[in-house]
Amino acid sequence: MIEVVDLTKSFPISRQQRRELAAAGSPAPGETPATAPGAANASSLQAVAGASFRCSPGRVFALLGPNGAGKTTVLRMIATLLRPDGGRISIAGVDALADPVAARRKLGFLTGSTKLYERLTAEENVRYAADLHGVGAADYKRRRDALFGALGIDAYAGRRAGQLSTGMKQKVAIARTIIHDPEVVVFDEATSGLDVIAARAIIQLIQDCRAQGKTVLFSTHIMSEVTMLADDLAVFHRGRVLAMGGLEEVLARAVDERGQRRTLEDEFVRLIDAAEGVRT
Amino acid sequence: MSSPAWVVFRKELRDTLRDRRTLVAMVVVPLLLFPLLMVGMAKFSQSRAAEARDKTLAVAVADAEASSGLADYLRHEPGLEISEVQDVTALPERVRTEELDAAIVVPAGYGAALAAHQPAPLQLLHKSSDDFDIPRTRLEQALGRFEQKLLDERLRGLGIEPRSIDPLDIQRTDVVSSRELFGKLLGGLLPYMFIIFCFTGGMYPAIDLAAGEKERGTLETLLSSPASRLQIAFGKFAVVTLTGFTSALLATVGMYVSVQSVTGIPAPVLAAVQSVLAPGTIALVLALLLPLSVFFAAILLMLSLYARSYKEAMSVISPLMIVVVVPAAIALAPGVRLGLGTALVPVLNVSLATREIIAGTADPLHLALVFASLLLLAAGGMAACARWFSREDIVFRS
Repeated sequence: MIEVVDLTKSFPISRQQRRELAAAGSPAPGETPATAPGAANASSLQAVAGASFRCSPGRVFALLGPNGAGKTTVLRMIATLLRPDGGRISIAGVDALADPVAARRKLGFLTGSTKLYERLTAEENVRYAADLHGVGAADYKRRRDALFGALGIDAYAGRRAGQLSTGMKQKVAIARTIIHDPEVVVFDEATSGLDVIAARAIIQLIQDCRAQGKTVLFSTHIMSEVTMLADDLAVFHRGRVLAMGGLEEVLARAVDERGQRRTLEDEFVRLIDAAEGVRT
Repeated sequence: MSSPAWVVFRKELRDTLRDRRTLVAMVVVPLLLFPLLMVGMAKFSQSRAAEARDKTLAVAVADAEASSGLADYLRHEPGLEISEVQDVTALPERVRTEELDAAIVVPAGYGAALAAHQPAPLQLLHKSSDDFDIPRTRLEQALGRFEQKLLDERLRGLGIEPRSIDPLDIQRTDVVSSRELFGKLLGGLLPYMFIIFCFTGGMYPAIDLAAGEKERGTLETLLSSPASRLQIAFGKFAVVTLTGFTSALLATVGMYVSVQSVTGIPAPVLAAVQSVLAPGTIALVLALLLPLSVFFAAILLMLSLYARSYKEAMSVISPLMIVVVVPAAIALAPGVRLGLGTALVPVLNVSLATREIIAGTADPLHLALVFASLLLLAAGGMAACARWFSREDIVFRS
């Protein structure tokens, strides 16, 4: 389980970044610089402003939001890469702020931009992750055989990562993420930039993790992935949760003035526009 | 189960040793290139110097009075080919174009000055060359003997025995040991070389292990593992230290091999080199380089982690080489010695201490001070580097 309560995070910004934000028109209409999430004030930018949600075991939770919404910041805080300014994070019962190392033991983290160590073989890449997670030799062999067999990595396990195709690399990255059998798996835009075949491997992994009773959290801006995979979702924008609930529940609430059900994409756009103060 | 720091160290070392660029900087350059350059330059210099020494010099003598006897005298000097000319105006150009190695002009009034017991004018035309000016030196030595002959004749004409004007017969004995002498010479160059290799050996691994990992996007995966920031920093740090230190070590091996392979080194010099390369001396020098490697590793890793990309790291770190080279070069300046003040200046202290160790004149108190300051610096560098890895504004700088 992942439990996030009232999470906040801001980043210091440089003079140049402040100029760029001012040129881009931040803050949003109706918001003051000091309070606007995602807006620049004198010295910092608020990326996450009081986000709360809960992801349950055996379910897939989608964090849906446009680029720059703060999704990556939230996931990085969950993975203990960033320390929140305020709030609480619990990973499989471990307080991630009090004991980040213990929290990371229970976590698998995969991002779309993650690559492999090109000079190491596929096997060495996976073994490195296993060693870092303290997986013993016997457990490693069992997990490795199962994963390599399921993903078809055996055929190229001894080849250096630099010589592998994008699809092969993605499968090795998947094996590396779950070699220690984590209770919680977090995917940050993991299919972004991948071709259909490589993206399919990630989608299959998410479905397998759910079937195994793991807690899965993934961020995306692709609606079809949400409708295909998510049990629960949160629409995220300017560091805030705009809507949250089960997928069916959110869609059931998405009804227009004429009583017609909106698609997820229409509902997503409506929520974002409403938050931006755009009249539709 | 292995410690995460050890896991990181093992992986980074394996990864680094598979990087061709690092291998070239860490192994090939210190081990082969420098010794080859040294051997090549030594042989080239030797052959050029020998050529200049053995060459028959073409010298023109333009004697306005035809009575000086200089041309006849010089004809009996070995290695000189004397031609007598009348045209004085063409001589500078003939020397400049190296048709002649030198020319001597005996102007009008030479005989009169000599007869009046005055200094007789004589003009020597030569061209400074890259042959160590050996032709000019040889010709001046011949002219010196001619002058001595004239002086002896002049003294005898005055009824004075030439030897009687030398009141002292000075016998010179240089008590410097060949090791000390060689230490002063080699000691200037070696620390310079060691320090540079210490730095360049760790440079590429440091860039790859921090900025490279950032650029590849693998840093996030590593940081989301149960390894603590301190353990990750320590694992990477140990690899950078090791590569820098190994580079300096291989430079020592390379130097030893090159000295052994250069032929024609005089026996006393060779004996001095071998005493410099004695295990005790080398161990002491390497012991100085270890904390320096630690310090360099800390600086390199911190800068590399600060950079957003491999390219940026290169552009930040490359100018730093000058900062490192300057104190090492200051140690080459005459009069700069290891003292209480210089023992505390990083890099300069290593350079000066190495020189003293090689020369066998190191003061134990100064050495202890150098070690202490380097250890403090290394410890400070390590602590700063570990703290750097915990700063999210550095690790996720964009």
